Amino acid sequence: MTLGQIDRADEVAGIVFVDRKQSALTDFLASHNISAQQINLDYQARLARQQADQAAAAAAAANEENNANGSDDDEDVAEQKKRKRKEEKAIAKIKASKEFKRRKFEHHRAKDSDDDEETDDDALARDMMKKPQKAPPKPGQFANCETCEKRFTVTPYTLAGVDGGFLCTKCGKELKDEKSKAEKAAAKSKKKALVPRVRKRQQESDRMEGNVKLGAKSLVEHCVRKVADVVNDIEDFGDLPQNLLDRLSQILSKKRVLTPRTLQLFLQPGIDRIAVYDCAKLETEDFNKIFAFMPDVERVNFRFAGQLKDEPFRYMIEKNPKLRHLQLDASNLITDAAWTDLFLHRGDQLETLKLSALNDSFRDEIVEIMASTCPNLKRLKLRKCSHMTEQSINFIASMTSLEHLSLAIAQESSAESLVNLIDSVGSNLKTLCLEDYCDADDSVLEAIKNNCTQLTKLRLTGSPSFTDNMLANLFDAAWPNPCIRHIDLSSNRDMDSAMGPNDEDDENPVGFGSNAMKAMMVHSGNKLEQLDLHSNRHVGKEVLLDVFDGVKQYPNLKDIDLSFVTHVDDVVMTGIFKSCPALEKLAVFACFSAREAVIPQGIAVIGLPNAQSAVETVGGA
Amino acid sequence: MADTNKELSPFVTLVSADGFEFHVRRSAACVSGTIRRMLDVQNNFSEAQSGVCHLENLSGIVLEKVVEYFYYNEKHHQSSSVADMDIPADLCLELLMAADYLDT
Repeated sequence: MTLGQIDRADEVAGIVFVDRKQSALTDFLASHNISAQQINLDYQARLARQQADQAAAAAAAANEENNANGSDDDEDVAEQKKRKRKEEKAIAKIKASKEFKRRKFEHHRAKDSDDDEETDDDALARDMMKKPQKAPPKPGQFANCETCEKRFTVTPYTLAGVDGGFLCTKCGKELKDEKSKAEKAAAKSKKKALVPRVRKRQQESDRMEGNVKLGAKSLVEHCVRKVADVVNDIEDFGDLPQNLLDRLSQILSKKRVLTPRTLQLFLQPGIDRIAVYDCAKLETEDFNKIFAFMPDVERVNFRFAGQLKDEPFRYMIEKNPKLRHLQLDASNLITDAAWTDLFLHRGDQLETLKLSALNDSFRDEIVEIMASTCPNLKRLKLRKCSHMTEQSINFIASMTSLEHLSLAIAQESSAESLVNLIDSVGSNLKTLCLEDYCDADDSVLEAIKNNCTQLTKLRLTGSPSFTDNMLANLFDAAWPNPCIRHIDLSSNRDMDSAMGPNDEDDENPVGFGSNAMKAMMVHSGNKLEQLDLHSNRHVGKEVLLDVFDGVKQYPNLKDIDLSFVTHVDDVVMTGIFKSCPALEKLAVFACFSAREAVIPQGIAVIGLPNAQSAVETVGGA
Repeated sequence: MADTNKELSPFVTLVSADGFEFHVRRSAACVSGTIRRMLDVQNNFSEAQSGVCHLENLSGIVLEKVVEYFYYNEKHHQSSSVADMDIPADLCLELLMAADYLDT
């Protein structure tokens, strides 16, 4: 039972706690469905029944008090009278006090009636007086224990019993033990209540990574994580298979513990590849060591290689004759001269070259050298290399061996350059990625349609001038290209019109819209695995409903991003779940009308405002 | 996952290199792809007939942990956000190799 539930239960009973500060014990009792309020009410009822004997009871109480105080045993009548007067005074005082009013208010709320007001008042006041007004015996005096009635000496450490009397050392200790036990239990139950929330947090975190699979993680995953945890105690990985080494490198990089010490574990002569996803802690000698230890290396993948200088780079060119695949990120200390060396010496054997975030070197001239010295290059990926200009694109156009081409450089290039590029290399391409070329227009689409026939991955993003009809035309039945597995056509929308497709009567609206959506799914829906359409806000609701109608099936579609496609709503989402049996991840950021759809287990939906709904459930009251 | 052919015993025996035998529920053992294929009658390995798998490259102590994982996995088969199983640090590398071999 949560606090919220208790609150609700109390509201139903018409009771409101005025003082919200509760002790742990009260909490504990409440959690066991014991209400102090109820006990108090019962007590009041009993008191009313005993009203007839009240005077006698009061006298008895006075006597008892007398005894407890342990003062003079033989009081005379005058003194008793005096005491009675005192009591009356005290009661009057109590009746005037705030505390009394509060209790009275509560009492009436509880009883919900006004009868017997006077007697109730008296009883209440007397009740209140009994407890706190009792003068405590000073330390050093004797008192009778409230529980066992033994006589004992009062000390500063003496505890008060439940009825306000004092407890002897033994009973006091018992009470204390009991209290601490109850507190512990309360704390424990609180802790237990916390656990699911912590879990929930972890769950949300996993969900963001698209990991909502039911059941336990694989034993391999368990072990890899554990190995990464204790990596500093490990002397040698032994002969772990390559895929596990790679996974370990990923985890260690993510944890930023890929130091020269841990790097050593990955260096094995027999292995043909090395991937370090965070080289920030490696220096010249570490790079040298890598190339010295692994003379047969074929694949080199260094990310954040900011400290990779010319010297180890030339060492690599010299010592690793089998190098065929090279991927470097942020290796800004390599000069153009060293790049030239690479292409002159190893250019003819390079099959893969992926470079990103080069801001200090690799100018157009180097691209020209690359284009002329790498006849076997199959994969080329260039991203965020700030010195490359439109000229580079023209040089790349001469590399007809390319099968996979991803470019995010020289993004101000004209559409003609891109068309020229696609015209010359397009026919062999299996992958074509052109990111954020703001001048790319329909002529580029036309070039793709005319040249590319083997694409399995297509990424065309960030163009403000592709038209819906031309995109639809690209995917029509006349295109000989088979089904595409990975499509990313995100952020292709008209920058100027914020609201929906331009005009109803506009013949050819700009941006990826309803026609393109329909044509694309007809063309590639069968084999499509990954679909990114984020920020294509002109995709209409009818077409979404039509494409994801729950009857048409997209058996391989695993990953969809429809963020900022504002027409996605609960119905569309439900349709997606029905139409995509293999779906693993769906991103719907900023799809504000989709929030109620029932998400089947095993699908990670991210971007829904469930942080809010989670707050609502937890808050309760 | 597990084939519930009536002729098959619901338990199989896993034998470690140093001779420890573990009698494990078939459904649990089949969490491992390798063992599942070993025991698949269609593949007609001797393990499928005898119901005994000799895992010559696993020591008893590693196999014990593996078996613990089998049952842990089966127990949490349908639950979401499962707590991680505890793996002793000195065993994790060997266990990793075993897990890789067993396709678990």
